[in-house]
Amino acid sequence: MDKQLDVLQGTLDMLILKAVSLGPLHGYGILFRIQQISRDRLEIQQGSLYPALYRLEHQGWIASEWGESENNRKAKYYRLAAAGKRRLQSETEKWNRMAEVIAGILHTTPEEV
Amino acid sequence: MTLLSRFRSWLRALVRRSRMESEMDTELRFHIEAFAEDLVRSGVPRQEALRRARIEFGGIERAKEECREARGVRLFETVWQDTKYGLRMLRKSPGFTATAILTLSLGIGANTAIFSVVNAVLLQPLSYPQPDRLVALMRSSPAGNQWAISVPKLIVYREQTKVFESIAAYDSAGPGINLTGGDRPEQVKGIHASAGYFEVFGAPIALGRVYTAEEDRPGGPHVAVISDGLWRRRFGADPTLVGRTVELSGDPYQIIGVLGPGFKSDPPADIWLPLQADPNSTNQGHYLRAAARMRPEVTLGQAQAAMKLAVEELRRKFPNWVGPRESATAVPLRDTVVSGVRSALLILIGAVGFVLLIACANVANLLLARATLRKRELAIRASMGAGRWRIVSQLLTESLLLSLVGGALGLVIGFFGLRALLAINPVNLPRIGEHGAEITLDSRVLLYTLLVSLFTAILFGLVPAISPTREDLNATLRDSGARSGGGFRQNKTRSILVVTEMAMALILLVGAALMIRTFEALRSVRPGFDGHNVLTMQMALSGSRFKKTAGAAQMVREVEQRVRAMPGVEAVAGACCLPLTGGPDFPFAIVGRAPVSGSYSGDVQWRNVSPQYFEVFRIPALRGRVFTARDDAGSTPVALINEAMAKQFWQNENPIGAQLLIGHGIAPEFEDAPRQIVGVVGDIRDYGLNNEPAPIMYVPEAQVPDGISALENRLMPFLWAVRTKVAPFSLDTEIQQEVRATSGGLAVAHVRSMEQVVGESTARGDFDTMLLSIFAGVALLLAAIGVYGLMAYAVQQRTQEIGIRMALGASPEKVRKMVVWQGMRLAVIGVVIGVVAALELTRFMAGLIYRVKTWDPTVFAVVAVLLSAAAWLAVYVPARRASRVDPIVSLRYE
Repeated sequence: MDKQLDVLQGTLDMLILKAVSLGPLHGYGILFRIQQISRDRLEIQQGSLYPALYRLEHQGWIASEWGESENNRKAKYYRLAAAGKRRLQSETEKWNRMAEVIAGILHTTPEEV
Repeated sequence: MTLLSRFRSWLRALVRRSRMESEMDTELRFHIEAFAEDLVRSGVPRQEALRRARIEFGGIERAKEECREARGVRLFETVWQDTKYGLRMLRKSPGFTATAILTLSLGIGANTAIFSVVNAVLLQPLSYPQPDRLVALMRSSPAGNQWAISVPKLIVYREQTKVFESIAAYDSAGPGINLTGGDRPEQVKGIHASAGYFEVFGAPIALGRVYTAEEDRPGGPHVAVISDGLWRRRFGADPTLVGRTVELSGDPYQIIGVLGPGFKSDPPADIWLPLQADPNSTNQGHYLRAAARMRPEVTLGQAQAAMKLAVEELRRKFPNWVGPRESATAVPLRDTVVSGVRSALLILIGAVGFVLLIACANVANLLLARATLRKRELAIRASMGAGRWRIVSQLLTESLLLSLVGGALGLVIGFFGLRALLAINPVNLPRIGEHGAEITLDSRVLLYTLLVSLFTAILFGLVPAISPTREDLNATLRDSGARSGGGFRQNKTRSILVVTEMAMALILLVGAALMIRTFEALRSVRPGFDGHNVLTMQMALSGSRFKKTAGAAQMVREVEQRVRAMPGVEAVAGACCLPLTGGPDFPFAIVGRAPVSGSYSGDVQWRNVSPQYFEVFRIPALRGRVFTARDDAGSTPVALINEAMAKQFWQNENPIGAQLLIGHGIAPEFEDAPRQIVGVVGDIRDYGLNNEPAPIMYVPEAQVPDGISALENRLMPFLWAVRTKVAPFSLDTEIQQEVRATSGGLAVAHVRSMEQVVGESTARGDFDTMLLSIFAGVALLLAAIGVYGLMAYAVQQRTQEIGIRMALGASPEKVRKMVVWQGMRLAVIGVVIGVVAALELTRFMAGLIYRVKTWDPTVFAVVAVLLSAAAWLAVYVPARRASRVDPIVSLRYE
């Protein structure tokens, strides 16, 4: 599986929530972590990351504060808010159910119909 | 929680906009640098790493825009930015801005003007408490409703207490009341009203009290209630006035109350006297109006049903009192006030709607032309990350700015323009007050103007705002100049707009032309009388001297003798009525002939006049003779009829010598002896110049039954008409003095020349004609500007092409013809569409026009030619410019 997959519409929010649930991160760090976890199999449009972050913060699912980066530069760190935690949970469940259903459909053979 | 944090984020964003901006900047810069550092670490040179990081990131501005949007402050920020930017853009092209604003203000102003009239006349609730509870009690027949009631019916309807809280009957303040005694006699308007009047209209009482039902009986006390205005003007706002006795038409009346300042009666009045109607009356004259206040839970339908039942009950008891097809109903009081003007106002509303649409089309065209010029600017903005809606909203904001400024200016133009028109041409519209004083700029007019402005902005702004955003960005940016072509679609849009404008202008012009034809037709109508050099005045014949016919006849004879003796006077007459002002009608029977309906042969107009009436108005005797001084109370009762009556009732026979029995059986006091017809006089147009002459019977002033004299003196003013050899107003003062002295000091009022009376009878139609003509003129001008704008723009756009044509041998003549043809083609299409639409729409004007068909071929032909000529002129100027294009210059033109 060499080819990178584009992130499905709507799943970016879930991935961001997951990434910051593992610990506070700045924007670049979030991008980096998602790519790292997915072992570079997912391609995220960098331009679309920040609008998503702003939206999530506006909705109160993540919170942000300014801090120091690894190389002592000013950076904005995002962490999961309580509402975001619940959201991540429900989104994960929904995703799993969905994946199961779709996989079931895709594995259907002619005899099963 | 979520909501709160969302609000907080929004608020923070709003308040600390610039800080958020810089934070966003820092954050994104950090991202790119961190990315670049990673690249450097993997061996890419620093410069190259930064470049690659930026490319990988994508459009930074677009990302920022999306972040702002995500933060939820877009709306506020957008509006603020767009407004600032829009103002700058409008300032940069003052010519465009001024044209657009002026055009819009004309369109919006016309709408404000007409709406403020509609608001005052049709929309404002009546100025009484709970006005929607008020109804007028109507006598109804298949021919329509008549707001008239007789005393016996009032007595019966007054018992409808299940549906009505209170009922009032009152007269129309006809003759005026002479306020005598003291040093200056004055004629004031007074209403005889039944006791329920003040309750029905919720009249506020400022001082004293109003009269009771006990006092409102035959033989009841002489008491009077006066208005706040009269109290202040005549009695110096004396707080001790109540209880004092004043002399009204020679009789003493005790003032028992003063009404509050806000009370406006219809008809306007300053004095209210008890009606004191006889409950046992059998008088069948319908000379009162009745209004009622419905109980709170009663619906209009229930009130109408109750009226119908009441009249049927009356019919059962007294079959002769109710006509065979007569019934009764109740209608909202407001409808009676405005019934005659509604259709004209609605047509004017339609007309100004068209003016506004034309103005919109014009401004839309201007904007489209401008949008083409601004294409590059918009493309750059789009490439910098502005979304499509962002650009649309920017363009709409500019439209909105234009229309709001145009609306504000239109408000001023429309409102004060209308006031000015009303000041020049006072028109007798109900509820607008003196010179339109009641037409006010209330919140409704302001709101209407604002809504019209907003609607206008969307209408003219949306088409141009959407069309450029559809264009291909790259193509536009690659194009070198700002002058990139308008494209087929845009020119098509603009052409459609121009065609529409022409069509609408044509409709308006046809409407105005029909009104002008009507105006001319009315001026050329032969009214049947000569009003030139006739002075008229009114007098209220009240007081004991005029209780009987003899007293009035005696005075009329004296006035005739004395005024006639004055130098410069040719003839003098006293009469119940003037031509064109209408009057009473009575049923009559022709003696010796079988009656046609009931016991009558017909029902025609009645005029009691003194002998010289026909000389004053130069109404010719066609057969027999007119009245002389010898036709007095002691001689044979005689009558004259007019030609229309002779034709209707005698056809080819000779009516002279036949006998009329007038008003037999209506009421004992109206009983008249049979009258011999002694002559036939010429017809006059008595109910407006646009109505065919009605049948009239004339009766000598000295022979009127006493009961009719008393009734007339109570309901109508008495009129004097004097034919002069010189300008009528040069004798005004002397005649007034003589009349006043002879009548024993009665006030003379409403002095007018007969020409003024004629003018007043057509004033409302003239006003409609003037307004419609103004609107049509504006429409013509705007449409011509629209055509000019389109063609001038097209020529400018095609300079290069025209240059090439000319370089290849096209003559200036040919180029000019080409441009003229292209413009005129649109104009002619517009004219044709307009003609078809106008044929449909003018039907609604049928009630306003006279002696001209709604499809009058002359009107349509003249208007089509006029509009085409205007379009040709508008096309010719750019065409000439095109033909003068220098091929060399144009090919270099950029």
